[in-house]
Amino acid sequence: MTEDLSSKLFSSLSDSGIHGRIEDLVPLTGGASKEIWKFNLVDSKESTRMIFRRGAQGESSLAIKTADEAKIQEEVSKTGVSVPQIIFVSNDSKLGDAYVMKFIEGETIPRKILRDERFKSALPLLANQCGEEIAKIHNTPLDNLQFLPKKSSKALVEDLYLLYESYKQPSPVFEYAYRWLKEQDFGNFEDSLVHGDFRLGNILVNESGLNGIIDWELAHIGNPIEDLGWMCGNSWRFGNSQMVVGGFGNLEDLIAGYNSVSAEKINAELIKTWQVFGTFRWGVICLMQVYAHLNGTVNSVEKAAIGRRVSETEIDIVDLLLLGGK
Amino acid sequence: MIFDRPTSIELIEAVIDFLDSEIKSELPPHLAFKIRIVTNVLKIVQREVNLGDQLSEEAKKLIADAIEDIQDPSMNKFAEAIKNGNAELNKESLKKALIEITKSKLSVDNPNYSTYKKLVE
Repeated sequence: MTEDLSSKLFSSLSDSGIHGRIEDLVPLTGGASKEIWKFNLVDSKESTRMIFRRGAQGESSLAIKTADEAKIQEEVSKTGVSVPQIIFVSNDSKLGDAYVMKFIEGETIPRKILRDERFKSALPLLANQCGEEIAKIHNTPLDNLQFLPKKSSKALVEDLYLLYESYKQPSPVFEYAYRWLKEQDFGNFEDSLVHGDFRLGNILVNESGLNGIIDWELAHIGNPIEDLGWMCGNSWRFGNSQMVVGGFGNLEDLIAGYNSVSAEKINAELIKTWQVFGTFRWGVICLMQVYAHLNGTVNSVEKAAIGRRVSETEIDIVDLLLLGGK
Repeated sequence: MIFDRPTSIELIEAVIDFLDSEIKSELPPHLAFKIRIVTNVLKIVQREVNLGDQLSEEAKKLIADAIEDIQDPSMNKFAEAIKNGNAELNKESLKKALIEITKSKLSVDNPNYSTYKKLVE
């Protein structure tokens, strides 16, 4: 498999004018639904570290095409967002729905980032940096991104509810959350590029803090505050629940970073509304994964176990809406 | 119960102990990680066998208190009452049912979850 991929990569890259040998091609355990490989591209002058990313079978129906992720990364890099540089996008059957980007250094594993000595100095800076980077993403011109799904806040809530309902596993808490969400004001903002899954795990962190943003598969166009509410969800605090932003920072720093870049001024209350939405959304994504197992699409004990994590999102919603949780 | 010992709980415990003490240390990291998921799943089953009936009975009472004139209270009917607007959302007994039933679910699914620990302290 590795040799076959290696020769295909070599020939596709050569055809598009990128010459060099493919060396040390190895798979990385990355996202659950993508294939990710690293390799070195070696020519007579230098060796460059590269990442190959390809969509896999049975992918989440919420995900965009992998090649489209590359187009987004090219667009956001123009507004100064830190993303890996795209060097090749596959549009043939040889490599499938895939692209090659330059390797960027940084840790993605949340528990390492939150606990290793190496990141001690980075953590206090991270919430502000995340605010800045998210605001830059939201400032990206949309002219070249019209292929992305576009939804109003109300439509997003309705679609999420329909998806939840389709699994026919009624949840009193989700019904309550839906009725609450229907009454909320989500804020009037210009349509923005939304990353859709901005959190530890999908950002690269080094000793100086945020070094790159990856995993654009849930990107869409909509209300920008969705990204801020999402990363404040307790599911993404990895046990450090007293640190509201991603398990490492506080809301004031995230907002200050955001407001230093964005013309849209935002507030904590609006973020909380989107945090409830995001928590419900994560619960439904968990449902989606467990039903892929229960319907027989994939047979996996990990996916089965995820079914019993839906209740984690329910208790977070109960805490947020009924018990004054943050 | 017509079955001899070990009880179902004791059988599950024996498997958890075997995986933890004899298997986990023999495996490469990516499989050791999977075995951790497997033992977590077995621990959910263990807690559900222990607590499930009692917690489900308590939930029925909470739902009956929250929704007037409900016949044969169940999670499905509770969800439906909230959905159809047949439930008064601000009622204290409804809030209490949502809170307590969700806590009961977590006490089986994942009693180590941060929000659960915070709420039962």
